[in-house]
Amino acid sequence: MTNRADAGSRLLRLLAVLTWLARQGRATVSELSERFGLDADELIADLELAACCGLPPYSPDQLMEIIVDDQEVIADLGTELARPRRLTTAEGFALAASARAILAVPGADPEGALGRALAKLEAVLGGRGLLRVDLREPAHLALIRDASDAGRQLELRYYSASSDRESTRTVDPVSVRLIEGHWYLDGYCHNVDGMRRFRVDRVSEARLTGEPAAHHEDDLTPGPGDGVSSTSEAFVPGPEATVAHLAVDGDALWITEALANSSSEVLADGRTGVTLAVASTVWFGRLLLRLGPHAEVLDPPELAETGRKAARQLLVRYRGRAAS
Amino acid sequence: MVDRLERLTDLVLVLLRDHRPKSLREIASEVPGYPAQEGEARRQAFERDKRTLRDGGIEVTAVPIDGPEQVGYVIRPEDYYLPDLDLAPDEQAALNLAVAGVHLGDPSGRDALWRLGLPASAGARPVAELPALPALPVLHGALRARATVSFDYRGERRRVDPAQLRFHGGWWYLVGHDLDRDAPRTFRVDRMDGDASADAPGSAVLPDGFDPDAALPDVPWQIGEGALVTVSVHVDAALAGLVTDEVGESALQQRHDDGSVVLELEVTNIAALRSWLFELGEHAEVVGPEEVRDGVVSWLEAMAGRT
Repeated sequence: MTNRADAGSRLLRLLAVLTWLARQGRATVSELSERFGLDADELIADLELAACCGLPPYSPDQLMEIIVDDQEVIADLGTELARPRRLTTAEGFALAASARAILAVPGADPEGALGRALAKLEAVLGGRGLLRVDLREPAHLALIRDASDAGRQLELRYYSASSDRESTRTVDPVSVRLIEGHWYLDGYCHNVDGMRRFRVDRVSEARLTGEPAAHHEDDLTPGPGDGVSSTSEAFVPGPEATVAHLAVDGDALWITEALANSSSEVLADGRTGVTLAVASTVWFGRLLLRLGPHAEVLDPPELAETGRKAARQLLVRYRGRAAS
Repeated sequence: MVDRLERLTDLVLVLLRDHRPKSLREIASEVPGYPAQEGEARRQAFERDKRTLRDGGIEVTAVPIDGPEQVGYVIRPEDYYLPDLDLAPDEQAALNLAVAGVHLGDPSGRDALWRLGLPASAGARPVAELPALPALPVLHGALRARATVSFDYRGERRRVDPAQLRFHGGWWYLVGHDLDRDAPRTFRVDRMDGDASADAPGSAVLPDGFDPDAALPDVPWQIGEGALVTVSVHVDAALAGLVTDEVGESALQQRHDDGSVVLELEVTNIAALRSWLFELGEHAEVVGPEEVRDGVVSWLEAMAGRT
């Protein structure tokens, strides 16, 4: 027996295919497979089943008119099936939020096609101006995005929080993305001969070297843990990363949201256990300072002292001079 | 045995096409695949199908009808169809790209395009990832319906007339009018405990002239209910440029010969300021006022002394 979620999602997918077919009249099997993420056999099976559906008495004239062969699907489904269908609250939110986010990307044209599409959508869904997305615009974002789009090599003056040093890097940009509220550049760093992720708001100077980017996404096949990830962690642990376990109380729970690559569980004492990768003790020390009494390092022992050391180092600065 | 997908598809077509409520007996006679015998098994099969449809966003409405069964079922066209959006081809393409370009943690955006009859073609590169939180669709739905929302926040039940949902600085915020405090308030959506719930549509009434854009400050240390304090922060040359870019030139109070700067920040949320400050490590220091500086020192001493 098919379970409920499975039949339900198959139904939604089939209705989507039928809506598309009703609008198009015909489509190749390969195009339908690609658009709906289905393999051809599944698609043909579902469409053959749909061709047996319709209205009583299920005589040929009351069935959906769908002709499927190996290559192509031809359908005459009438206007009703072609109409757009109501969205769930989650879908309405996702569509509006996606459009708002793209319109918030610096350089987007609010009067362009997307702006017009969103206006039509909001006129039907309700909710004009109820959703707002603010994306930061660091000083060098435009230049870095343009370089990435055009495949131009960059020279950056970059402050690394993990090494606490500023340095000059030559980078072949691969992609620029907003993750967890910050813009990141992924690129091939010539200084270290490998892929690195840079926070764009930590770039204090940027210029084009005049060279084309020699490395592209396509010819980079990253090995495990070398800093490139097909998933989206803003902080990608390298091979040198240590896994740390923290226990945090309610006031420090924000880190489970802020660190995309952390995982969490409820501990026996009611606190939350958080597992995260630590590639830099400088970074980890500063994280612990922010968490203060609301977090405790459970493991490994060599990281347990990190917060204490960071606090002592910073206290040296505060004791070095009197309050003004 | 009729495939359940076939039964569901026929059920949708039958309930939708006639615009007339049908009794379960009629439905069972028109839709192949239900148990032939009237009784509990047939009722359960139908209830299960109804749930599956509802989970998929297809509402089956029960209405009173004449006849022995008294209840009829229908999918109302207004519950099923949207008015035509009349999107031009470039607008369709732009929506497709937007959904492909923004990751929200679940396939709702793709499903939305499916329902509109605009399935995406080959994937575009992602541009932005926004955190997905279960409360967001509920809050957005409440905004659209102008409904008062309730949720637990910092150990209290809050009732809020929502004005805006806003992504800012990496977090989702609900901006609205707090009914119990009778004042504008801003809430971090990820800090809401449990589910948010919405009252009846139209229940929310915002005060005249409520400006959601003005309710959320640009910097985290101004998102709070504390008294306003002006805090001076000294930032080393190493990070002076980056930090001044971040907070804005207007906060710049002094520039020293060594390249370091003193910034003056208007603060209503000391905890948020501290968190931001510690990200800068040894490169930044509160110089005044004394009580804020002492607060930072006590925080550090408590940590330094901990074994």
